[in-house]
Amino acid sequence: MSMTASERFARYLSGKEIDRMPIIEWAPWWHLTLGRWHAEGLPAECASVDDIQGYFGLDRCLQTGVSYFTPASPTVIPGSGIGCMEDEDDWERIRPTLFPDVRTLIPKEHFDWLRATHERGDTLHFFTVEGFFWYPRVLFGIENHLYSFYDYPELYKEMCEDYSDWLVELFDYVFSQFHFDFMSFAEDMSYNSGPMIGEACFDEFLAPFYRKVIPVIHKHGIPVFIDSDGDITMAVDWYAKVGADGMFPLERQAGVDVSTYLDKQPDMAFLGHFDKMCMKFGEAAMRAEFERILPSLQRGKVIASVDHQTPPDVSIVNYKIYVSLLQEYAARVTHKGGNITPCPVFAEQERSQA
Amino acid sequence: MEAALLQEISEKLQRGKAKDVAALVTQALEQNISPETILNEGLVCGMNVIGDKFRQNEVFVPEVLVAARAMNAGLKILKPALSGAGIEPLGTAVICTVKGDMHDIGKNLVKMMIEGQGIACIDLGVDVDPQVIVDTVRDNDVQLVCLSALLTTTMYGQKEVIDALCTAGLRDKVRVMVGGAPITQEFADEIGADCYTLDAASAAREAKRLIAEMRA
Ligand code: B12
Repeated sequence: MSMTASERFARYLSGKEIDRMPIIEWAPWWHLTLGRWHAEGLPAECASVDDIQGYFGLDRCLQTGVSYFTPASPTVIPGSGIGCMEDEDDWERIRPTLFPDVRTLIPKEHFDWLRATHERGDTLHFFTVEGFFWYPRVLFGIENHLYSFYDYPELYKEMCEDYSDWLVELFDYVFSQFHFDFMSFAEDMSYNSGPMIGEACFDEFLAPFYRKVIPVIHKHGIPVFIDSDGDITMAVDWYAKVGADGMFPLERQAGVDVSTYLDKQPDMAFLGHFDKMCMKFGEAAMRAEFERILPSLQRGKVIASVDHQTPPDVSIVNYKIYVSLLQEYAARVTHKGGNITPCPVFAEQERSQA
Repeated sequence: MEAALLQEISEKLQRGKAKDVAALVTQALEQNISPETILNEGLVCGMNVIGDKFRQNEVFVPEVLVAARAMNAGLKILKPALSGAGIEPLGTAVICTVKGDMHDIGKNLVKMMIEGQGIACIDLGVDVDPQVIVDTVRDNDVQLVCLSALLTTTMYGQKEVIDALCTAGLRDKVRVMVGGAPITQEFADEIGADCYTLDAASAAREAKRLIAEMRA
């Protein structure tokens, strides 16, 4: 059974028969890890995610993202945790500098490249935007964002309302130009002990906006993943109820056990969950980790992948062993389909076709 | 009457009502309730409830932050009365995120919870060089060093701090407590830390115990 990367991915998430599990990494590599690998023989010209995925023999899985900032917006240094606004007055000032014309964001050449690589059949493409936890966090800054649920609840919602309006336009335009294999909302709203916010807060501040934009994405037949590190055992239920199709990276260090998620959210797909912390210990440890997750992989809709970025304590030799084991275990995941529930987006499609 | 007022302080604190807490603390002082009682049975009591609920995922990070802010609003009013009555902080802790690591949400929560026990905190921020910690310990009356690390690449930075304290002959002056996502009890033992906790509420409780030990 031969299939393109896209067909395999969509069939996998639909619970249909597949030849093997996709063999992917979705996160770009940590620069410290790459620094080490370059010193250990990764060719210098292997610099882009695309090159590196090719070098290691992974299926290609490439990310396209856009920003709601414009050149007129205040500068926010990524990862600094320092925002660019505090209150309503700041928002009034900043708001007009945000949300560029959605047609100007992705150059024609990029769309051409997306289509060409898609036609080649070996590449998955996913589209990423910030979620309704991450986006206000960028604007408010880490600390003020956490206070904003109490200090500026109406402002928070207004900011998300404006953002979600823009996202609706963005998705309709971008997905009419190119059919991405999946999309992700960057959230990172959890840590080792659970979510940073509670369910009531999620319901009030995040859920309404997800409920507004996810149907727009689904209309284009694209599955929606939420990207949140940490222990998402509580959050997975919240994202399920707003219609998300899946989550990643299911961080093992944070105590995640994907088999319990399959029990409680059988509609959802999961990506990641391979414990990055065991990779430095070599083949036996990695094999044991694959054996741990194999039963979940065989239940369907779980794609094994490093649960976020490979840490710099992993040598290139160990990473190559990881990839060969991933290939070996991927080949053992060959459902015949039948009793696997499709993700919401594909279930909807099946219903509308019926 | 006194109990009801203290209870109200605790409850308003738990709901993050900073202004109300400040007003109620003023009222309690006017009613001649002792500053120490207001601190322990009003503010610290409220913070302990929040800490326990946080540990059990009944309240979350924003709730802890607003409660800690309310605690500080109350403390601000209470402080002059506390020093007037000769009541000093239980002790002083130095806290930071180690070299190379920028994660500070957890560190800040630990700090707030420790302060919530009536312990003074010197916060050195993130990405802190071991020497800065050594200097701070040497130059201040400190009993506890709290180190946060969120990355496997920086967790050994906690060991470097412990080693630097040893080299400077200051290891016996302080207890060292470590935490952060990749930290485990085994790791804490391996690097010679005195204490590890999984969460901020337990960290605060342990801080109180360790400081009492050092002061004994
Ligand atoms: C938010 C976040 C960020 C934010 C940090 C913002 C900030 N100002 O703090 C940003 C986006 C900047 C960031 C950057 C990076 N991050 Co980061 N981040 C996270 C995330 C999602 C949550 C951390 C958090 O805020 N938790 C919330 C608080 C409340 O929890 P906490 O810190 O664990 O603290 C609790 C306990 O640990 C304890 N505690 C904490 N400190 C202390 C101290 C003491 C003394 C005690 C007793 C207890 C204690 O009490 C706290 C409350 O109960 C974690 C995922 C995770 N599983 O933790 C990844 C994570 C830590 N990051 C990770 C990575 C890889 C990075 C980057 C390297 C990414 C990159 N390639 O650039 C950079 C590193 C930047 C740097 N040099 O530090 C990885 C680390 C993996 C590894 N190998 O170690 C994680 C685990 C994500 C993952 N899935 O793999 N990150």
